[in-house]
Amino acid sequence: MELVVSQLLTGLSIASILMLVALGLAVIYGVTGVINLAHGEFVMLGAYCAWFLQSQLGMGLLESLIPIFFILAVFGWAVEALVIRHLYDRPLDTILATWGIGVMAQQAIRLIAGGELRYVEIPAFLSGSVSLFGASESAYRLFILGLALVLFGLTWVIYRRTSFGLKLRAITQNREIASSFGINSARIYRSTFAYGAGIAGLAGALVSPLKSVSPEMGTTYVVDAFMVVVLGGAQSLLGTVASSGILGELSGFLAFHSNDTLAKALVLLAIVILIRFRPEGLFSTRVRS
Amino acid sequence: MNLTGKSTARLVLYLAFCAAILLVPSVLDDAFLLNKYSRYLVFAILAVSLSLSWGYAGILNLGQAATFGLGSYAMAMGLKLRTVPVHTGSEGLPDFMVWNNVTELPWFWAPFHSMTFAILAGLLIPAAFAALLGWFMFRGRITGVYASIITLAVLVVVNLLIIDQQRYTGGFNGITDLAQFEVAGFFFDAYSATTYYLVALCLCVVLLLSLAVTRSKTGMILQAIRDQENRVRFFGYDVALYQIFVFSLSAGIAGLAGMLYTIVMEFASPTFLSVPLSLSVVIWVAVGGRQSLLGAAIGALIVTGVQGALSETEVFLESWMLIMGGLFVLAVLFLPKGIAGAVSMAVDRLPFFAGSARKSASNVMKTTEAAS
Repeated sequence: MELVVSQLLTGLSIASILMLVALGLAVIYGVTGVINLAHGEFVMLGAYCAWFLQSQLGMGLLESLIPIFFILAVFGWAVEALVIRHLYDRPLDTILATWGIGVMAQQAIRLIAGGELRYVEIPAFLSGSVSLFGASESAYRLFILGLALVLFGLTWVIYRRTSFGLKLRAITQNREIASSFGINSARIYRSTFAYGAGIAGLAGALVSPLKSVSPEMGTTYVVDAFMVVVLGGAQSLLGTVASSGILGELSGFLAFHSNDTLAKALVLLAIVILIRFRPEGLFSTRVRS
Repeated sequence: MNLTGKSTARLVLYLAFCAAILLVPSVLDDAFLLNKYSRYLVFAILAVSLSLSWGYAGILNLGQAATFGLGSYAMAMGLKLRTVPVHTGSEGLPDFMVWNNVTELPWFWAPFHSMTFAILAGLLIPAAFAALLGWFMFRGRITGVYASIITLAVLVVVNLLIIDQQRYTGGFNGITDLAQFEVAGFFFDAYSATTYYLVALCLCVVLLLSLAVTRSKTGMILQAIRDQENRVRFFGYDVALYQIFVFSLSAGIAGLAGMLYTIVMEFASPTFLSVPLSLSVVIWVAVGGRQSLLGAAIGALIVTGVQGALSETEVFLESWMLIMGGLFVLAVLFLPKGIAGAVSMAVDRLPFFAGSARKSASNVMKTTEAAS
């Protein structure tokens, strides 16, 4: 019983990190159709912001979350305005351009902050562990799980309950017709991109105490996040939650029974097969054809 | 249509390029530089292979490094088994297997005692691998962005497996300490003109062969599939079959490039099948011009050449990646057809070609009208 619970908790912890990282990507990809390969670097920049604010300005991780969201949102806003908006009708080229941006961000950080590993401290009151159904889990991981769910809820409310979200859904279904009804799609796209980048920054800040912070850390996240989004279906926010849950538990389970590397390879293979038979994702009905 | 003038000009251009790269060793006598240039030429072959599938068939393979790496490992396995006994453990076991407590040669290593088998494997295993993957994707009508994501995921899987199976592949360290490649008494020292000629000749053959493929009927159908997949399907062509063909041809060429890379670098490593290398290939091709084989090759030479030059100077050692990234973003934004596209537009404006250019321009207008 203990083993099962701790196994489930490990999976949930992986899932919550996956969800944090994938949420921003899902928002951007779902709405604008842009494959943002720089997303991992957005995460990395968020982690570096957390490190900078903590080590240079002495801010705690929790207080720095809101500034980090806005710093990354401004960054995403700028990236959209300078590059992405020219490429909406060339989807394959967005892969290339965003990858170029990612390379630049990585190298810029290496030049500014150095290539060595950085460490961010967990807030003191979350450093202990909590016992759940006989299995113990670090309090910080549970905190991440909670915050991931809150962020998802917030995004869902914006999506479903605000006029911004209504316009956003209209554009997702048909940009031309939405525009002809007077919706400023260029502005909505830019805000979406900024929001997605901000969430990625939060994800980076939140995972920074768990893994060491390095300029290359984004590369691993972007592939994983993509798999979550593709599996969940681009148009479905709930799909993102469900698929990060599935992938998290699956990798936790497989890693327990073989090793981390093989688990990763097997999960990727499973996703490849899924894309082949359900390219629209597991939890999505086809909106665009 | 007055296309003959233009295609003759193209052929002349390709032949001139081949002659130019073959002439390099006669004016340059520096073993170190020749080795560096051979490396760049290998990258040019890899770029041509991607241009075939991306530029001519619209399949953006983000995992081109996977087949490149398979070729490279096939050659490394062949060369490893030829090392003199000093470098290997007892009973001719490669040294890293001895360190990993492997007691006998795994069955899939055994045939690599034959060099012919190793060379064939380096060409055919990547091609067969791609054919299988292509069959899996294209029979399910997976194209565009999804095909790119699948190829990227497959690359990561292959890379992880090679690193994980350290006992049989050397893991992170790869396969090092290789024998020299030798065919019929010719030894190919990595730091020699012989190896340079081998690589340059392979590039020429690959360029001209690929040009022939793109000018053939199959090539025309592939370009039609790139532009309007459904129409080609409605004409009764088996679209998937053509896509599988070009995908696996491209993989075979990438495998060849991988084998040559092992000869030039004198080792094989998991970094040859890494995501960064795979995406670099995409950069080279995008900068050079995805819809031109020669453009892709020149793009690879320019980008890797500049990269090599910049990373050697003190000032740019740290910042060249930043500059490359910036240049790449600018190229995607402002030169979607790369250098080759810019050159061919400039040529079309010259008075000599103006007549044919006006005609082809009006053809382009007609097709875009029909498409919209």
